[in-house]
Amino acid sequence: MGKFVQLVVDGLSTGSVYGAIALAIVLVNQATGLINFAQGGMAVLSTYVAWWLTTHDVPLILAILVSILFSLALGAVVERWLMRRFERGDPDTAVVVTIGLLTLITGICGWLFTYNNQQFPSLFSLDTVSFLGVSISIRSIGTTVVIVVAMLLLQGLFVGTKLGLALRAVAINPQSAAFSGLPVGRLLMVGWGLAAALGAVAGALVAPQLTLTPGMLDSTLVYALAAVILGGLTSPIGVVVAAWIIGILENLAAVYVPFIGFDLKVAVPFILIFVVLIVRPQGLFGRKVVVRV
Amino acid sequence: MTLLELEDVTASYGPVQVLDGVSLSVPDNGAVGILGANGAGKTTTLRAISGTVRTGGRVVFDGKDIRGLRPDQVAALGIAHVPEGRGTLGDLTVRENLRVGAYLRKDGKEVDRDIDYCLDLFPNLQDRIRSNASALSGGEQQMLAVARAIMSKPRLLLLDEASLGLAPSTAKNVYDAIRRLRVESGIAMVVVEQNANLAFTLVDSATVLETGRTVLTGRSAELKGMDEIRRAYLGG
Amino acid sequence: MATPSTSTASSVWQRPWVRWAGPLLLVVVLAVMPLVLSEFANQTIARIGVYAVAVLGLNVVMGYTGQVSLGQIFFLGFGAYVTAYGVSNDWNIVLVFALACLAPAVAGLLVALAAARLGGLAIAMVTVALPIVGVPLAKRLSDFTGGSQGMSARFAEAPEGSGLYDDQWQLYIVLIIAGVVFLLTRNLVRGKYGRAFAIVKGNENVASSMGISPYRYKVLAFTIASLIGGVSGFLYMLVIQYTSPETMTFGHSISLLAAMVIGGAGSIVGSILGGAYYVLVPQLTNEVDPSLTALLQGALLLAVLFVLPGGLVSLPRALTRGRRRPRAGRGSAAPPTTPSSTTGSGTAAEEPETERQGHA
Repeated sequence: MGKFVQLVVDGLSTGSVYGAIALAIVLVNQATGLINFAQGGMAVLSTYVAWWLTTHDVPLILAILVSILFSLALGAVVERWLMRRFERGDPDTAVVVTIGLLTLITGICGWLFTYNNQQFPSLFSLDTVSFLGVSISIRSIGTTVVIVVAMLLLQGLFVGTKLGLALRAVAINPQSAAFSGLPVGRLLMVGWGLAAALGAVAGALVAPQLTLTPGMLDSTLVYALAAVILGGLTSPIGVVVAAWIIGILENLAAVYVPFIGFDLKVAVPFILIFVVLIVRPQGLFGRKVVVRV
Repeated sequence: MTLLELEDVTASYGPVQVLDGVSLSVPDNGAVGILGANGAGKTTTLRAISGTVRTGGRVVFDGKDIRGLRPDQVAALGIAHVPEGRGTLGDLTVRENLRVGAYLRKDGKEVDRDIDYCLDLFPNLQDRIRSNASALSGGEQQMLAVARAIMSKPRLLLLDEASLGLAPSTAKNVYDAIRRLRVESGIAMVVVEQNANLAFTLVDSATVLETGRTVLTGRSAELKGMDEIRRAYLGG
Repeated sequence: MATPSTSTASSVWQRPWVRWAGPLLLVVVLAVMPLVLSEFANQTIARIGVYAVAVLGLNVVMGYTGQVSLGQIFFLGFGAYVTAYGVSNDWNIVLVFALACLAPAVAGLLVALAAARLGGLAIAMVTVALPIVGVPLAKRLSDFTGGSQGMSARFAEAPEGSGLYDDQWQLYIVLIIAGVVFLLTRNLVRGKYGRAFAIVKGNENVASSMGISPYRYKVLAFTIASLIGGVSGFLYMLVIQYTSPETMTFGHSISLLAAMVIGGAGSIVGSILGGAYYVLVPQLTNEVDPSLTALLQGALLLAVLFVLPGGLVSLPRALTRGRRRPRAGRGSAAPPTTPSSTTGSGTAAEEPETERQGHA
């Protein structure tokens, strides 16, 4: 029982990281209609910025905050200078551009910081805390809480502020929003910046565990995409819940299903997808999207 | 005083030229209709004004050449475009749609007062204030679209086919409200409308387009009296 | 009627023997080439052939049918492993070849049946898992795959009486098999299936309304791509004689995709250029600075997407167009999964856009 609870808590933690990237992907998709395969890569670059600062004796929290600012700028710049040309066009083309971006960012990280594993300091202690006789990792709880708070803040922004309203309007119908004077381009940059910031938070939280390398979030991207497929592109809550389910199930499968074990955990989301797809092609929570010819 | 002047305006979508010399003049507080058959370029003319199509010629608003400005920049100058198909932001509530309309304004309290005014102008929207715009009927969405446009306190309103897809009584309600708006606020308007009878209840003058050109301009009273107009647009 | 003394250039080119001369010349060159080139050159060309086939397969599903796939390298690896296993167990080589084609094709079929259902970018999102799951799977199934150590298999030794060296023999086999695959694929994409693929790529809803089921054609394209991937895996084992989980990493998957785009999406010749790019460029960049390789590759891919979306194969066309019309047309940016797309990307000010439709 104790083991089970530990696995669930740890699964919630890794699921939160997947969920953060998945949410960032959904955010960007709602605003600009494309899937950003470089979302994880952008997060890694931001995490490297934080890491570099810590190696120059900057306190961890400050380093992470700076990396979040960096990611806001990075997201805005990528949208404006790289992706804007491809936003209204063929989504498959835009995906290839993001794949190119991923390669470039991975290359930049490797070139600037080498391909070696770097140790990233942990924001939370590595101790466990005892709760109802079960020992639970503080880091797992901390990671989950921080990411959930970040998501809630984002949600608060979207629902409760003028900027958030504007971002939603632009995502729904950019031309109509422009008719009301909304500066569509600038708002898209903000949207991408916020998505990148969410990724930066996730990256900093998971880096201590995964060790920082240019390809650190490549697998995470796969999980995030699985969460997006399962949750549906139209449902932010859906992808977060799907991500948690994936995180928990893969942990449980790793321990309780011997064939899968730890090395094949990554197959779990796709087995899930296979099964769900047969029943509900639009994902667990998504709406059927109607495309008019 | 002329608020808006179009002089020999041309417009094209890529290689396809749709407007080939449209001229139009809207006085301060005036209302001008654009009539014509389908494909004559009525909608494109509005787009030429709001900056959503590549344009040649002169488009002068309040003495300033606005050709080449982005749509949001045109909106910031005081031109509100209610597009064909309404452009309501379906996933937002009615109230949120109205708030979006007021995006450029800084006067919070006035905005709330104007929301109340819109609800008074379009009482149907009162009960639906918290519903998602996509749940509204066609007529209600049209009203919402117009209301959102006037939330920005524009000097010029561009109305594209406001009666499209609406039952005659609903369309009449919409036009009644717009007429009241015009009287109470003095907003100038350019009204594209297939239903010429309805248009003439609102506009002082009109211009007729044919294959992208202005072929006839005149005061409503004159036009209504002309045989060709009666036959082509007013049902004989 | 035309006077006998004037024969225009175009009529000369249309004469049958002239049309055949080009390909015939090519065949002669290819037949003689392995005999005159060095061992290193032959091996390099053979490797280019391997990856040209892999890129060709990717082109079928991505360049021609417009579905981004990050899984092609998985099918190459799968084919290579099947080949290695069969050869190690002394199976008949023809049987091994058949299996190397069919096993990946079946796998591809299964994946496509599920992924294509979702529409939109689902195939991209699902196929990204293939290399990522494939590597640990290959390590785990060590009874079949030799685990992390991988498997070696030498089976393409030049027959005794032929007087050929091994590298020459291998290159001939690669040329023949690759040649057949290219020819068959070329016929496929120029025929009615190719046209259906293009329509599905351009606009799925138009395709449906024409009675062309996007789902079926995506599945078909993906299965063919996997089959061709399997063939390339067989050739891979033939030339490189060793495979391991490293063969199908995520990094290689992206490199293959990049090679396809840079060579020329939706183009037969582009696939060959892509194969050449895949083999030759990393060799070059590694000599400059190994840690720069990924960066240069990303930069190059982006550069192609921005400046030359049709890939290297479209360079001659782009240059001549540039000379004829000095002012580039606006809004003519062709998306790279197609050199000529029906869904052009116009600038916002130009197109009558109504509410943006959802993309799945």
